[in-house]
Amino acid sequence: MRRVALLLLAAASTLPAQVTYERLINALREPQNWLTYWGDYTAVRHRDINQINTANVKDLRVEWMFQTGMPGGAFETVPLVVDGIMYFTGGEGTAYAVDARSGRQLWRYKHAFPQGRSTSGVNRGVAILGNLVYMVTIDSHLVALDIATGRPVWDTEMVPYKAGTYYATLAPLVVKDKVIAGIGGGEQGVRGFLDAYDAKTGKRVWRFWTVPAPGEKGGETWAGDSWKIGGGPTWMTGTYDPKLNTMYWGVGNPGADLYGENRRGDNLYTCSLVALDPDTGTLKWHFQFTPHDTHDWDAQEAPMLLDLNWQGRPRKLVVQANRNAFYYVLDRETGEFLMGKPFARQTWAKELDAKGRPILMPNTEPTPEGNRQCPGLAGATNWMAPSYNPQTGLFYFAVREQCDIYYSEPPKYVEGKAYWGSVFRGVTDEKESGMLKAMDPLTGETKWDFRYYRAPWAGTLSTSGGLIFAGDEDGYLMAFDAKSGKNLWKMNTGNRLVSSPITYLVNGRQYVAMPSGSVMIAFALPEK
Amino acid sequence: MKAFLIGFLVLCPLFPQETDPIESGKALYRSNCAFCHGLTGGGGRGPALAQGNFVHGSSAAEIRRVIREGVAGTNMPAFHMEADELDHLVAFIQAFSGAGVKRPPVAGDAKRGHDVYTRSGCGGCHQVAGQGSIYGPDLSRIGAARSSDYIRDSIVNPSADIPEDYQGVTVVMRDGKRLTGIRVNEDTFSVQLRDPSGKFRMFQKNEVREVLHEKKSLMPPYASMAKEDLQNLLAYLDSLRGGLKTGADARQAEGIR
Repeated sequence: MRRVALLLLAAASTLPAQVTYERLINALREPQNWLTYWGDYTAVRHRDINQINTANVKDLRVEWMFQTGMPGGAFETVPLVVDGIMYFTGGEGTAYAVDARSGRQLWRYKHAFPQGRSTSGVNRGVAILGNLVYMVTIDSHLVALDIATGRPVWDTEMVPYKAGTYYATLAPLVVKDKVIAGIGGGEQGVRGFLDAYDAKTGKRVWRFWTVPAPGEKGGETWAGDSWKIGGGPTWMTGTYDPKLNTMYWGVGNPGADLYGENRRGDNLYTCSLVALDPDTGTLKWHFQFTPHDTHDWDAQEAPMLLDLNWQGRPRKLVVQANRNAFYYVLDRETGEFLMGKPFARQTWAKELDAKGRPILMPNTEPTPEGNRQCPGLAGATNWMAPSYNPQTGLFYFAVREQCDIYYSEPPKYVEGKAYWGSVFRGVTDEKESGMLKAMDPLTGETKWDFRYYRAPWAGTLSTSGGLIFAGDEDGYLMAFDAKSGKNLWKMNTGNRLVSSPITYLVNGRQYVAMPSGSVMIAFALPEK
Repeated sequence: MKAFLIGFLVLCPLFPQETDPIESGKALYRSNCAFCHGLTGGGGRGPALAQGNFVHGSSAAEIRRVIREGVAGTNMPAFHMEADELDHLVAFIQAFSGAGVKRPPVAGDAKRGHDVYTRSGCGGCHQVAGQGSIYGPDLSRIGAARSSDYIRDSIVNPSADIPEDYQGVTVVMRDGKRLTGIRVNEDTFSVQLRDPSGKFRMFQKNEVREVLHEKKSLMPPYASMAKEDLQNLLAYLDSLRGGLKTGADARQAEGIR
């Protein structure tokens, strides 16, 4: 009798999931799970699950909520789900593992910040490899946690802590046996970099400086010593093509943000997409969307990898709807510019030339008196995830329609202080708005859009149920018919949405999850 | 590490050294304050500063505090600035405002202006010291909050500048009936209005034909008001400087803020 009980107990205590690199490469073949920040290495954010579909989504309702109770900045995390367990980060250096069916907590990690450090700031989630869960902290540490207990296994300082300089917020990316992590601080006069760490030990393997030094390739695009405080943060997660052995990473704005006189030149590799060898951190190619940016238009939006027929022949593409209001198609083997089209109101570029470089309109620079330009500083889109649905062949993304008045003054660099070069301000009596847009990724042609009252900060999710899930700035999580754009379901979650929804299955039942406020919410259809 | 430090020393001459405090203050004023107080301090959505009459005190310390902390119950936000920036800004404001100089009173007879206010039915939409309607902005401290030029514009051509909280919305019902009111709240799917009787009216957008955002102010223009009446009315409105409450009572002081 006793023996039977023991056996049952053994069967019930399932071992923690082993997330291998093989599983990460084939993440789309596990639609029940959400294994990386973007859902897989390509960032299509589409799942082949149709249990919740256009016919029944009207019945979708809240299944559970998990209240982190942690304010500490906007809840920008994207949860991962591995075999029935959800992993996500919250404010103040916290991470959680919860039962993805009930929302009950399995473990909680709270980073022990040294006394006197600012501990609040956003965090965008975790990465997983083997039995380790990886997260960054606002004081620029990369931490590995035991997937079974949440206990720290190693803790690496990415860069020596100095208040008001570097910080880290992104969800790391696991590639092979390395953890790739970037850094924030584009408004603080830092010099940006992207790092790779040994996943087992936390030892740094390589560092790619996003701002080259004099003498290095690209170093000539910075006047004087401006490169030392040139910005170029790497605050969002990149994508990866295992066959090409290439990572694609968006680089943020140059500093000072709004004043460019003392950093004349193109300021590589700010506002660029860089293609890197994940083994060595070597640059394979780069494409700069906004040379010598003075409007804070970071290029950290999802670099989505699509294999499509480009003008009659199959081609490996990387596409990005950029903060500067243009949508770009590049060849991801060579970096060749194939197409670029505006997707939102913009006042700064006449057009793009044959190589994709913008031809500027006159007088678009920030001025001491203020200069109104579109898009605004937050961009025509931003970190919120786009998605691609292979059934409709459409690219779905959140568009912000909003302009700013950009001011500019010569800044004084003081280490630890903001290095903006003045301020920006919304335009009075010009109401911001936004939309969910469905666009042909090969032509940039809009197929449909759904207008939002305010400019959104939440992204999209696509499923084979014919649905696009999206969030707006007033807190509505919504479901749309992917073909027609018809709004089929909505729920007011009670707080602005600043992340992107995911979907997963547990025991064959489909869920949709979305963070709102400081609450993780899971939705499901009523059980029959 | 040493090379790094030396690098910064070399770098420094690239950037402005000690700047003239007034010039630096002017730059800060243009990008942070001019938006509400006017490029030359003549006022706008915020009080006129050029006349040197500061409701919350005209000493450097008092101006500093207002900038750093904002004013509860008004549209004046707190500004986070470095100490030296704050010093420069205050120096500039004091220099151009001639702080301490009493500003000339607005011409006109305030008592007669009150009669004009009553006769013209202003209280049908506005409130002063708790009397009148909550439909339009509360005017209890309008004299402290706005320059008299701004108030004149608001009477003669109210659409010139419509406060964010008093945007007009017209909802067209499915049967063609229309309801116009002040927008209290709105999102992608719903809109909430206050109708002229002060009642909340709430709609789901998919249940009505259309939601129109009025480009014009819901206040009628009083462009043909007799010149003397207008001047007296301005004198009356300028005299309204109802005390600002602080802390928990701050909300009560809202209205035109």
